[in-house]
Amino acid sequence: MSLKPAHRYWPVVFVSLCVLGAGTSYAASSSQGGDTEPSLVPVERQGRLRLAKEAMGVTTGPRLAQVPEAPAAAPQSAPAPAGRVQRDPPPTATPAPAQASVPPSQPTTNAAAPEPDLSALRYFASRGDTARLKVEIARLRSLYPDWSPPDDPLAIPRNGDPQLEAMWKLYAEGRYPEIRQAIAERQAADPNWTPPADLLNRLAMAEARSRLVNASNLKQYATVISLGASNPNLLNCSDVDVLWRIAEAFVRTDRPQRGVDAYSYILRQCENPQERVATIQKAAELLPATDLRALLSLEKPLADGQPEFAALRDDLARRFIADANKNNRMDVAPEDVQRLEAVAERDKLASDSLQLGWLFQRRGDLVNAEKWFRASRDKEPSASASQGLALVLIARGLPMEAEDIMYQWRDTSDDSKATYLAAAANLLALNPAPVLAEPVLRRIAVEVIAAKYVPAAQQLGWYAQTLRQPQTAMQWFETALQWKPDDEPSAYGLLIVRQSLNDRAGVLAIQKEWAGRSQRIADAGEKSPPQTPPLAVQTPRQEATKPAPLSFTAPDRGAPVAAPQRMTATTTARTATARRSACASRTGTASQRVEDTTLTNGWCLMDLNRPLEAVQAFEAALKSPSAAIREDAAYGQSLAYLRLGLTDNAAVAATKAPQRPARAAELQVSILGNRALSAFQAGRYREALVYLDQRAALKTETTDLMVLRAYAYQELGISAGARQIFEVLAETGNKDALRGVEEIRSMMNDRGG
Amino acid sequence: MKTWFSLLFAALFIAYVPPARALATSVSPAEWSLYKAHFLDRGGRIIDNGNGGISHTEGQGYGLLLSYLAGNRADFELIWSFTSAEMLLRNDGLAVWKWDPASKPHVTDVNNATDGDLLIAYALALAGTTWNRPDYIAAATRMATAVLKDAVVVYGGRTLLMPASTGFSAKDRADGPVINPSYWIFEAFPVMNVLAPSEKWQNLTDSGLDLLQSLQFGPARLPAEWVSLKRSPQPAAGFAPEFSYNAIRIPLYLARAGLGDAAFLRHLMGAMAPVDRPMATVNLITGQPLDPLVDNGYRIVTSLLDCVVNGTQVPAELQSFRPELYYPSTLQLLALSFLREEHPACL
Repeated sequence: MSLKPAHRYWPVVFVSLCVLGAGTSYAASSSQGGDTEPSLVPVERQGRLRLAKEAMGVTTGPRLAQVPEAPAAAPQSAPAPAGRVQRDPPPTATPAPAQASVPPSQPTTNAAAPEPDLSALRYFASRGDTARLKVEIARLRSLYPDWSPPDDPLAIPRNGDPQLEAMWKLYAEGRYPEIRQAIAERQAADPNWTPPADLLNRLAMAEARSRLVNASNLKQYATVISLGASNPNLLNCSDVDVLWRIAEAFVRTDRPQRGVDAYSYILRQCENPQERVATIQKAAELLPATDLRALLSLEKPLADGQPEFAALRDDLARRFIADANKNNRMDVAPEDVQRLEAVAERDKLASDSLQLGWLFQRRGDLVNAEKWFRASRDKEPSASASQGLALVLIARGLPMEAEDIMYQWRDTSDDSKATYLAAAANLLALNPAPVLAEPVLRRIAVEVIAAKYVPAAQQLGWYAQTLRQPQTAMQWFETALQWKPDDEPSAYGLLIVRQSLNDRAGVLAIQKEWAGRSQRIADAGEKSPPQTPPLAVQTPRQEATKPAPLSFTAPDRGAPVAAPQRMTATTTARTATARRSACASRTGTASQRVEDTTLTNGWCLMDLNRPLEAVQAFEAALKSPSAAIREDAAYGQSLAYLRLGLTDNAAVAATKAPQRPARAAELQVSILGNRALSAFQAGRYREALVYLDQRAALKTETTDLMVLRAYAYQELGISAGARQIFEVLAETGNKDALRGVEEIRSMMNDRGG
Repeated sequence: MKTWFSLLFAALFIAYVPPARALATSVSPAEWSLYKAHFLDRGGRIIDNGNGGISHTEGQGYGLLLSYLAGNRADFELIWSFTSAEMLLRNDGLAVWKWDPASKPHVTDVNNATDGDLLIAYALALAGTTWNRPDYIAAATRMATAVLKDAVVVYGGRTLLMPASTGFSAKDRADGPVINPSYWIFEAFPVMNVLAPSEKWQNLTDSGLDLLQSLQFGPARLPAEWVSLKRSPQPAAGFAPEFSYNAIRIPLYLARAGLGDAAFLRHLMGAMAPVDRPMATVNLITGQPLDPLVDNGYRIVTSLLDCVVNGTQVPAELQSFRPELYYPSTLQLLALSFLREEHPACL
């Protein structure tokens, strides 16, 4: 009777494979013999690839394998027993696949032709293992150039050694530990018996290979590289899988160039067509496009003259472009774009068209972007294609269709929602104000309220004011201010509306509240406000009794802004003229080009803090044949959009004409700052940090953004990071930071009990 | 290279390997055959049949050590070839601790178990020295160096053997560092010091002895399997506070290394096998016995202490080897081997 000790405890910590598998790095070791480095270029003989163990020579070239600097690692890796096997060259010489040297079993001087050991050959033949038989014949021919394979390997006389036969049998079955056992048993029984050197060599290689594969499967890349370095015989075309694993180990330990070298070695030296294609596919999973292009240049024609990677090219172009889109990179080769365009025309896959759409959209090529987004949507409507198309339409000044397209996709993602709201805000901001059907206005109002989207609420305010519905306008501006009390443009809008209603007390209240914070609010009333529609004073007083803003959602009361029956083209046009006259009258002479005028007008409108109208003016100026004017116009439009809080539009506008570096950087800094803020407000703290990091790389972080960063850290639970920033800022007396420090402290105390 | 190896052999022979052990026959061929038939799979892995048939580096290390003590070079080769190809895979030169025939892949956790690493390195060093195998010595040296680098730490002035490279340190656990006192394979430390010279090996011996004296928990005054050393030693959180199957080998390791004074060994003997109850695992909080320990392999441990301290004869039934479970069978052969070499009069 015995009790099972089944509940002995074993180490209970499960170490993630990924964690331990990564991050080990090695310094390059200097190879012996000065600056000679083993080459990846093997020497060919008899028209066939040589095994690496005989293809080892010292030439110059990139190194494939290297010895880790860790003292415990490579140098002594010697699985084969010394004294019984001719040793490989010292591992410190950093062997590589093609490093030429003398194979262990090949005589250095060729006085008497040596006899090849045919026992393995015979064994494979007897088992009918033709695959191994072929490999063995190739191996022997490369080792013994003068040897010819027998016509019938089975006719080779038995070597009369059943024990050795048994060992080869184990070898063929991959039972290497048992061969070690059998050899030792036989030596114990017969001290005079020596195992064939060939068997020992192959056994050592097979053991090293199996260890290398196991280590590679466990992501123990340092072990993989160390085994490759100390077993150069493993690295050759007869076992491409090992070369793939070595390449992967290099790439995954931050030595991509070594990985490229390994893949290049295969493509230069190895002939198996399937393995060559698979090499590109494997490399494509690990390497960036530039490295892959270098590998593709090693393409060879097939027997029928076709390029061997032809079938891969389409997929690669697809991958390159998708990667570039995903990582927001611009380095896409023109031939890849052309290829994917051809593929998309031919196969009409929605996914291909979609990638092309995004590529062109990022390049600011709105025409092509629109074409491909539309193609993608026609084939298969999707949120992404709709969003892309909406962005293009917004950028093209066609927000009405953008709003219409995005409406059904608005809830598919945060991005979709943001795009929808941007389309809506842009639609309302059109000048002249567009005629909107009541259902459209209503759904915009519903979405804006649900999202508490300040820029669109503000636009609804201006829209209502333009349509001479000051009560409604007032409600929208007030709503925007409820959501964002420090939103100066909304306060300004409210002030304009109150002025138009001759609400002096209301105007004064706003001026008092904003004293010292907004010059234009302070200045209001000193001169006639340009936004005030001339007939505003005639707005019936009874509108003041209309319901509060949130009633907009109630269908029975109708849309607050809408009242389409009261809206006519004449009134909107007239209002538009009134709005613009303040600037247009100050600028331009008959002799000036129209675009020059509109550019100046754009800046004028910016000065008056009427960015919506400025956007339109700059848009017109963008049509100028003068590059300088287009540059200014794009810059101005981007600034205008920034002021409107329409960051995505600002980004698009900035690409409408090439900008001088200082301006491009300035815009980029502003755009990133806005994006960080929006992301933070939307609760996407990680994203906010990404934008902040990108901005910080361009320009020193301002105090308010540092506070934002600290709060983002705090929201993400990185209290230490938050605290550090708060404390630094608190020393300068920053109030937000002082409060932040206090909040963290009280949190800690709560937790600490 | 050759000179270096010769020097190393000399050092191992002269300094640390008793000639009797070097002759390597203290486990009989019959015993090894039985052990092998029960626990050695034909492909070279030691099967822990008390733990669902898995293999681990502890088992591979014990298998190597026992085949060496039995003088069976062929089986040593078999076990080593498997161990090297299937487990000695980690970037740092240590072995992955567990190999499960039932799971695919067979290895799912790349952590090591330091006692397994030590056992493998120790057996390789002994076999390499006795059988003149520089490749064994080289492999043992790499492992010794890696253990020193990854698993030997100094904490609060004490040199500690961490149970694994990950998961037990002060950084990894709130009550870390956590150690397993039965991972201190005292007899291996001097050999490791020849392979990878460092004063830390002697410090490990000293700290281990010192710790063991202090690990007398609860009414039974026995060591726990897993001990937190964050403050004064305590049974570690998340493990049963028991004297159990791990810790039972502590006196065996002490005796095999020739360590521990008579008073301490006598204390261990009395605490593990009190006169008033059969030997058992013990709840350290209550002092109450849990599982009875009836296998020869467990009972021979206290009998061995009795021999070392009092010269008492080991009962014949404990000398007869009838393996059922991997773990007690292993302990029994290690105990018998030790008695044959050092205390033949007790047999």
